[in-house]
Amino acid sequence: MGEALVVRNLSRRFGGLRAVQELSFSVNEGETVALIGPNGAGKTTSFNLITGYYRPDTGSVCAFGHELVGLRPHAICALGLARTFQVARPFGKMTVLANVMTGALLRDRKLDVARAKAGEAIDFVGLSAKQHAPARDLTTIDQRRLELARALATQPRLLLLDEVMAGLNPAEIDQAVGLVGKLARRGLTIVIVEHVMRAILTVANHIVVLDHGQKIAEGNPKEIVANADVIRAYLGTGYAHAETAGDSRC
Amino acid sequence: MATTIAQAVVNGLLIGGIYALVSIGVSLIFGVVKIVNFAQGEFVMIGMYISFVLATSFGIDPLFSLVVSMPALFVIGVLLQHFLIRRVLALGDMPQIFLTFAVSLLLLNLALLFFTANYRTVQTPYSDTAIQIGGIYVALAKLIAFVVAMLLSALLWFFLHATDLGKAMRAAAQNRDVAMLMGINPDRVFCVAVGVALALAGAAGSLLMAFYPAYPMVGQVFVLMAFVAVVLGTLGNISGALIASLMMGVAESLGIQFVGADSGLIVVFVMLLLTLAVRPSGLFGGWTR
Amino acid sequence: MTRELVGRGGVWLCVLAAIALVFPLVSNAFAIDIGIRVLLFAFIGVAWNLMGGYAKQLSLGHAAFFGLGAYTSTILLIRFEISPWVGMLAGGVVAMLASLPIGALCFRLRGPYFAIATIATAQVLMLLFLKFRDFAWGAEGTTIPNLGDAPLMMQFDGKFPYYYIALALLTIGLLITCAIERSWIGYYLVAVGEDEDAAEAVGVDALRMKRYIYLISAFLTALAGTFYVQYIYFIDPNVAFSFNVSVEAALVSIVGGIGTLWGPVLGTVLLEPTSALLQSWLGGGRGGVQLTVYSLILIAVILYRPAGLIGVLTDITARVVKAGQARTKEAPLDG
Repeated sequence: MGEALVVRNLSRRFGGLRAVQELSFSVNEGETVALIGPNGAGKTTSFNLITGYYRPDTGSVCAFGHELVGLRPHAICALGLARTFQVARPFGKMTVLANVMTGALLRDRKLDVARAKAGEAIDFVGLSAKQHAPARDLTTIDQRRLELARALATQPRLLLLDEVMAGLNPAEIDQAVGLVGKLARRGLTIVIVEHVMRAILTVANHIVVLDHGQKIAEGNPKEIVANADVIRAYLGTGYAHAETAGDSRC
Repeated sequence: MATTIAQAVVNGLLIGGIYALVSIGVSLIFGVVKIVNFAQGEFVMIGMYISFVLATSFGIDPLFSLVVSMPALFVIGVLLQHFLIRRVLALGDMPQIFLTFAVSLLLLNLALLFFTANYRTVQTPYSDTAIQIGGIYVALAKLIAFVVAMLLSALLWFFLHATDLGKAMRAAAQNRDVAMLMGINPDRVFCVAVGVALALAGAAGSLLMAFYPAYPMVGQVFVLMAFVAVVLGTLGNISGALIASLMMGVAESLGIQFVGADSGLIVVFVMLLLTLAVRPSGLFGGWTR
Repeated sequence: MTRELVGRGGVWLCVLAAIALVFPLVSNAFAIDIGIRVLLFAFIGVAWNLMGGYAKQLSLGHAAFFGLGAYTSTILLIRFEISPWVGMLAGGVVAMLASLPIGALCFRLRGPYFAIATIATAQVLMLLFLKFRDFAWGAEGTTIPNLGDAPLMMQFDGKFPYYYIALALLTIGLLITCAIERSWIGYYLVAVGEDEDAAEAVGVDALRMKRYIYLISAFLTALAGTFYVQYIYFIDPNVAFSFNVSVEAALVSIVGGIGTLWGPVLGTVLLEPTSALLQSWLGGGRGGVQLTVYSLILIAVILYRPAGLIGVLTDITARVVKAGQARTKEAPLDG
């Protein structure tokens, strides 16, 4: 079981704002790692740094033995990293099927092959009934499903999910958790940014906590929920006593 | 030699002031409404023709016609935003680009129809006067234009930073959604932004009339300068646009002095090229990647 | 589209082709001239549409390639007595080569600033050719020596051959567009046009796609430039690098239906004859009428039907289809 992703001393500032500072963590193949932290902690920025949308000021990102820093996003995708965006970005003009096919075409330029692969991804996320609908006509949630299907169609080895569960109701969250679980059981390595604690505690093997661009804690779910620094980051100093109060469930 | 350079620099700065008025307008609209106004040059042209008509029909000095051209263009700006621009804000790049582009085309060709392609000039008592400062000749008309341009820029700065409406504009420019949550009405803010930007263009036109000819295509020259200045000064950065405009005025002037009389556009293009090649985010640019 | 509509589409295509082929045989010289302009500008529009419609790279400087094509073939013809047929292809190659550095610079800008950069490019080329007196005749330009009927030198008595050449060019353009639309390139181009960052996230090399399509678009536009010079027997920098050409290339595509196969054709069929008629009514004396009308049409299209004429037709077809479905649903009840 090798290391799928190794992030070392990743840093990026925007003017005076240090968005990500000396971030280091690693993800083993087949693991599901959750990246959590309060808003503005630098989670999406980290994703953008890893996937090539921003260039880090310092540090390195190594995926499956390849150095990613300096590569453009499409090259990183070709190496096996796929990502979704926090706000879904479908190709509005195209149908659902065409959207996902665009992802599938990465691995095989033949349209019929791509169409078949796309069909599989669309089935997996449950959008088969709407596959000929223009993407811009979908509901937000379906657009998220589309985003996932499109990413899956690129046949990734590592999937980065950015807040896929934001705004979902409990039933939808369960569905989403189910999908993520299925992907994990297929052997996909997953890094997931999320705020929905219930989902994270179910799917994540390992959690990395960010605050103000820095990693403040790391460990398995049980350790993290009891960690005083984590509680303080989310809820403020007044709640840090929860550690001494015994088992706490946020 | 030193005086030649100094003379060119001074001339460049003076015209740079006019470029600044035009480019600040473009930058303001881009920063607040997030749309590029291709027609900005045509509004300068309208300002010029307004001043021309007032001068030839009523004998009003172009400088004083500011009082007419600025409010008139402010109103046109509000109408432009409210009836046209507002309709394409949610539609994406193509409609936004081609709407103001079409307006530009329309205004230019209407001017061609009504005024023909002939150059129109206005003679003022001071059109040919130049004052001498330490061996350098400064055309009075241009100096006045520069001073007024800088005054207007300062007024704008004051407006944006010290008045509620100005702050609302800056807020809307930085984050439209949050601004709306704070109770700022974006449409009103946009109308004012476009109005102000066009008023500045109108001012540029009136100021130009004292020493520059009016003709239908005149806007195209200034708008190209303005666009490059906006890119060079970083998109949406108003003071950047001002500084970049002055720089471009100087560069153009030096180019005319040492390269050739019609090297203006070449200079513009070279500056654009350099910016794109070396620092695409502009002189004051932040983080694009 | 449903299969019935596609079937009917094939019939329409044949009808259209028949009309196009027969048109010159039943028209007078004035009409044929309009026909040639329609075909030519539709072709230029199709070339522009690949860049601007599919990949959404809104260039307003395509005249740069038009002019490069025109000047290349003319220089080869007059200075080296090389046939314009060869010159046409050479012009295409020159344009392709030019598109590489132009693209390298301009693609650093997005949206409206890309458009501005392309305008600047065409302007600079015009300025350069105004200065090149030695081998490119400077501001005065030159006429093409009239060799009478010389098919090998792309000169003909009468308008028929020009018409059919223009028709051939348009057909080539449409075939290329069709092939691209139905290949992986088409998917990638539209993806880049819709959302470049999202396209990159699924492995689309956006920069490379833009470069490819610019090459093709430039090549085709240059062919049109050569043809135009051969047709009007004259070239000068203002004609070759005319901003009007850049504008019309974009305009016909937008009015007709940006990003669609037939959009540019529909747009040209609407706009060119209109402008020709306008010019003949107003005696051509008042400069500015044509563009005034064009700009008003453009504003109207943008505000009311951004999808262009094709959008209007699609709406009508959709409504017809729906009405048809409603009718078949009612039939069982009618018994």
